[in-house]
Amino acid sequence: MSTTASSSSKVTESTSKAGEQKPEATQRLGVLEEDDEFEEFAVADWDDSQTDLAHLGGAAPGAAKSGGDKLWEDNWDDDDIEDEFSTQLRNELAKTNKGGDAMEH
Amino acid sequence: MPMDLMTFMSQLNDALVAENGPNLAYLLRPTSPHGKDLMKEFRNPTRPMFKRYEGSMQSPWDEIAIQYVLVCGHIAKRRPGEAFKEHSQLVSLFLRFFTENRGWTLPALFSVLRDLRDLAFDADHHAKYNGQRSECMEDAARTIAKAFGNCMTDRTSPPDQSRKWGIYYVVGLVLKCYFRVKRISLSKNVLRALDANTDIPPLSAYPRSHQVTYRYYLGMLSFLNEEYAKSEQELTLAFYHCHIEAHSNQERILTYLIPLRILKGHLPSEELMRRFPILDELYAPFIAAIRVGDIATYDRALESRERRLVELNLWLTLEKARELCLRGLFRRVWVATNKSTRIPILMFHSSLKISGVDVVEAEAECLVANMIYKGFMRGYISHEKQMVVLAQTNAFPRLADRQTPFAMT
Repeated sequence: MSTTASSSSKVTESTSKAGEQKPEATQRLGVLEEDDEFEEFAVADWDDSQTDLAHLGGAAPGAAKSGGDKLWEDNWDDDDIEDEFSTQLRNELAKTNKGGDAMEH
Repeated sequence: MPMDLMTFMSQLNDALVAENGPNLAYLLRPTSPHGKDLMKEFRNPTRPMFKRYEGSMQSPWDEIAIQYVLVCGHIAKRRPGEAFKEHSQLVSLFLRFFTENRGWTLPALFSVLRDLRDLAFDADHHAKYNGQRSECMEDAARTIAKAFGNCMTDRTSPPDQSRKWGIYYVVGLVLKCYFRVKRISLSKNVLRALDANTDIPPLSAYPRSHQVTYRYYLGMLSFLNEEYAKSEQELTLAFYHCHIEAHSNQERILTYLIPLRILKGHLPSEELMRRFPILDELYAPFIAAIRVGDIATYDRALESRERRLVELNLWLTLEKARELCLRGLFRRVWVATNKSTRIPILMFHSSLKISGVDVVEAEAECLVANMIYKGFMRGYISHEKQMVVLAQTNAFPRLADRQTPFAMT
């Protein structure tokens, strides 16, 4: 079998694939290819402790931080961002207010 | 001592008598060591050489054993097209046996189908390299779809020994073939057959590898059909049930799950992104821009990653998520006015101008109106007074609370 697909054919449900796939993984680093495939799993079954369910402590998958899932944030609104943009925005506001006053007179 | 064909046949026979599926799978795999051994006995195997072996085992196993040697011969001589053809024949013979037997045969079925797909991949790749047309993957998909039917129609085995336990693994393989040859619309037939059959064990009762692969492809199909709510649901389950060491599979799932969850108002945490540097590289600027309402950075990221996003079918989703960034920008205007309930449209226009978005005031008004219509802001516009009047409470609802985060209009 040629090298192109043998990586997945050699992976059986009981053997590890780590050794063979490393070089390919390194080459690929930094690139997501449209043609990449979902890979055959090295084992057929596993339990919660080997998944991201393990960190949930009973929370629903994908519930986000407020629901107990630290992998996703569902509340990032910040009222105290101080940067160049905030300053510019406040300056504009001051101008607008002045302009508004001027028009009313 | 290297294995000869007679020994190989007697080992096949032992596996059949013992109903040992994993061993049968091992024996039929061309990459197993005895594949090479048999090449020592038959340097260049051709069908006529095997006449005398016919009938030396219960049918169809005599033929299957012969096919196996032919497949190994072609692989050894690097003829992937021929190897695929002979292996297809092996699978057809195997299916004849399979339909008369119970679930213990599934490990062997999975193995021969996986090899079929891999050989098709090699054959097409090899043909393409030599400038020839080759449709082995389409052929493989047809054979695997047939095997799917053979799993579905088990009406006699006791439930725990049913061939139905092969359904989701085989569906995963068929879908993988369709995706490879970009004939995704063919998936509908398989999924319809699945839906129509109510007599299948629940997906959660299958091995996790079957569940995750199936959900990944279902999620991808929904994504490509722009059924984002369903896609988000399937990919979330695929991700959380995936083995954490199957890193590239998790990465593949997250590539599509992250933008969907962003639309839903859930940003991936730093902890998550640290585990997936490639995705961090792709999505970090979008996420950072959404956090602070930095529309200029968002637009630059859209532009610099356009080709890649288009290739991955992700451009539309990220373009859609720009609204969340715009909402962040307008929220900052509101914060800058000390959360005033009356803000001149001019202010929103200015915020866009400062961000480098060059639009006329009427368009700024239109953008605000759109934000209100879509539920990103609560309030109304007094066009006459050129004033945005915002609700006293909850003027910018939490993104995660939006009712229809995936609506495309």
